[in-house]
Amino acid sequence: MDGVVAHGVRRSFGPVEAVRGIDLTARPGEVTALVGPNGAGKTTLLLVLATLLVPDAGTVSVAGFDPVTQADEVRARMGWAPDVFGLYDNLTCREYLEFCGRAMKLAHYEARAAELLAQARLAEKADLPVHTLSRGQKQRLGLMRALVHSPSVLLLDEPASGLDPRSRVELRELLRLLAAQGCAVIVSSHLLADLEELADTVVFVDQGVTVGEHRLDALPAPALRTWRVRALTTPPLLKALKGTDHDQPTAAGVDVRLPSDEAAADLLAMLVGKGVRVVSCQPVGGQLEATYLELTQ
Amino acid sequence: MTLQGILTVAEQEFTIRIRAGRWRWLLGAWFGVLALVAALIRLATQTVNGGKALDKGVVVYGGLTLLVLGLALLVVPTLSAQSVNGDRERGTLATLQVTRLTAGDIALGKFAAAWGTSLVFLALSLPPVLYAMTQGGVPFGRVVVVTVVVSLLLGSVIAISLFLSSALRRTTTSGVLAYLVVFALTVGTTVTFVLALALSTEHYVQTVPGFCPDQPVTTPCPTETLTGQRARPDRVWWLLAPNPFVILADAAPQLPPETAQERQRRLALEQRGVNVSNLRDSDPLGGLGRAVRGAHKSPGSSTGSPVWPWGLGFDVLVGAGALWLTARRLRTPTRDLPLGQRVA
Repeated sequence: MDGVVAHGVRRSFGPVEAVRGIDLTARPGEVTALVGPNGAGKTTLLLVLATLLVPDAGTVSVAGFDPVTQADEVRARMGWAPDVFGLYDNLTCREYLEFCGRAMKLAHYEARAAELLAQARLAEKADLPVHTLSRGQKQRLGLMRALVHSPSVLLLDEPASGLDPRSRVELRELLRLLAAQGCAVIVSSHLLADLEELADTVVFVDQGVTVGEHRLDALPAPALRTWRVRALTTPPLLKALKGTDHDQPTAAGVDVRLPSDEAAADLLAMLVGKGVRVVSCQPVGGQLEATYLELTQ
Repeated sequence: MTLQGILTVAEQEFTIRIRAGRWRWLLGAWFGVLALVAALIRLATQTVNGGKALDKGVVVYGGLTLLVLGLALLVVPTLSAQSVNGDRERGTLATLQVTRLTAGDIALGKFAAAWGTSLVFLALSLPPVLYAMTQGGVPFGRVVVVTVVVSLLLGSVIAISLFLSSALRRTTTSGVLAYLVVFALTVGTTVTFVLALALSTEHYVQTVPGFCPDQPVTTPCPTETLTGQRARPDRVWWLLAPNPFVILADAAPQLPPETAQERQRRLALEQRGVNVSNLRDSDPLGGLGRAVRGAHKSPGSSTGSPVWPWGLGFDVLVGAGALWLTARRLRTPTRDLPLGQRVA
């Protein structure tokens, strides 16, 4: 199968076992989110997929090829954007992308560079040195580098870090577009709210192992979810909430942990019934965040 | 590995290099120093022993060449000693490794860019060299050989420095080590040779025909036995062989002997009472070359044999090996990762 299939991947650095058995499947036409705490092994897994690290164990297939024995075939079809990367400061944006195109052995690298500059809204900066770019612009340029050879598999490590809200929205739209064109996109990110709108599948990793792989539209309901209730005046609310699992009140309201949507509806009815003047009652964080918090203790 | 790939990397490295530093100033200073030194040597040889000096070009060229080699050996480690680990630090290496460029493309491309830069320096030394040639006594063949030998020596040092940058994590460490390599090749080989020469000293017993002037010729004269200490440079000459200065001086073709025409001209001048010195006899390269060959001969023989093929061969082989190792260290995916080294 095209896309990415990883099974039982293990990789240690000296005594440190960074990845201790990650399974992951990323289908073409879908965005797969790789989610987990810092140090969970996400970056290491992406390095294995990006033909940079040999796994100690496990089977990996990227775009139908083995990244260890068929690295060149994988590289021709895979784009990788690391979380931290450098640009050649003295090159212009255009020169940088043209160089990347040549390194990818593209015949029409000049046309491709111009196309990508337009796509990244960097056409005006095309002939300025890279060091004049803002952080977000550099991030976009780095993403365009990964796209220079129109890969069918895209590996992005924290692509949204440092991006302003508008750029994040644009990144989301770009990735959706690439997926719609048949690309298998893997995104590792901590921005769960973003992922919720972007991903089709989410793979949770913790301490080097896969702890859950779910379709986003079929996330398992978490045992407890936090709801935030705000009323015109807090004391009657607190009085009514007596006996429930709730936190100290803040300016934003009172956080209450509830087992289900039904329980939330019941609570709201009870509060209204007791005459508490409720202004709002809503779940805190997305469902993805709730699942994440539950899976990665 | 393809020529296209190597050129892609080399061109890129070269562009960055040229835009990064104050190259115009550096190259200008380099040229200025060489031109100044050439002019000073020329002035110093205006009169020798109060008389006329012939073939002044020999000394100007010899001095200039040794200076070019010495200065270039100080410059070239900086061209490649931070090339690979610097890219790693800046986070530009991994993104290069996931392209379709091979490890060999990257290693050779980086080498080509650094070597090309060093050849620019060498090319800038040519105008003073041409000037030296106009001052007489410098055969064209010598200039060609010396230029080729210096480029090969610089290439070897650049390749070794490049390997250090691929093998060591910190750019400062590889930079310092690259200079230590240059130090070892120049001062180190000389000091080791001198020390080893002292150790090579042996006790010898030699039988020589006796000297008996009072005896009739028909009576055989008894032989005499001489004993003493002598150094055996023929056993340790190879310690000196990798020295770039030794290689350069020894490889430089010896100057042709004085022709009949030149002799006539000299004699005519001397008849007029002019004190004439031919500076061909003060050839810095030839002198050093003869001294080195003198060490590379067995005690019996009268002529030494060339040292430079061994030395240059050794240096170039080490350089080629260093390039090969560099490419190996750039190969991905990586199995073994040095402690603390980031992949990306």
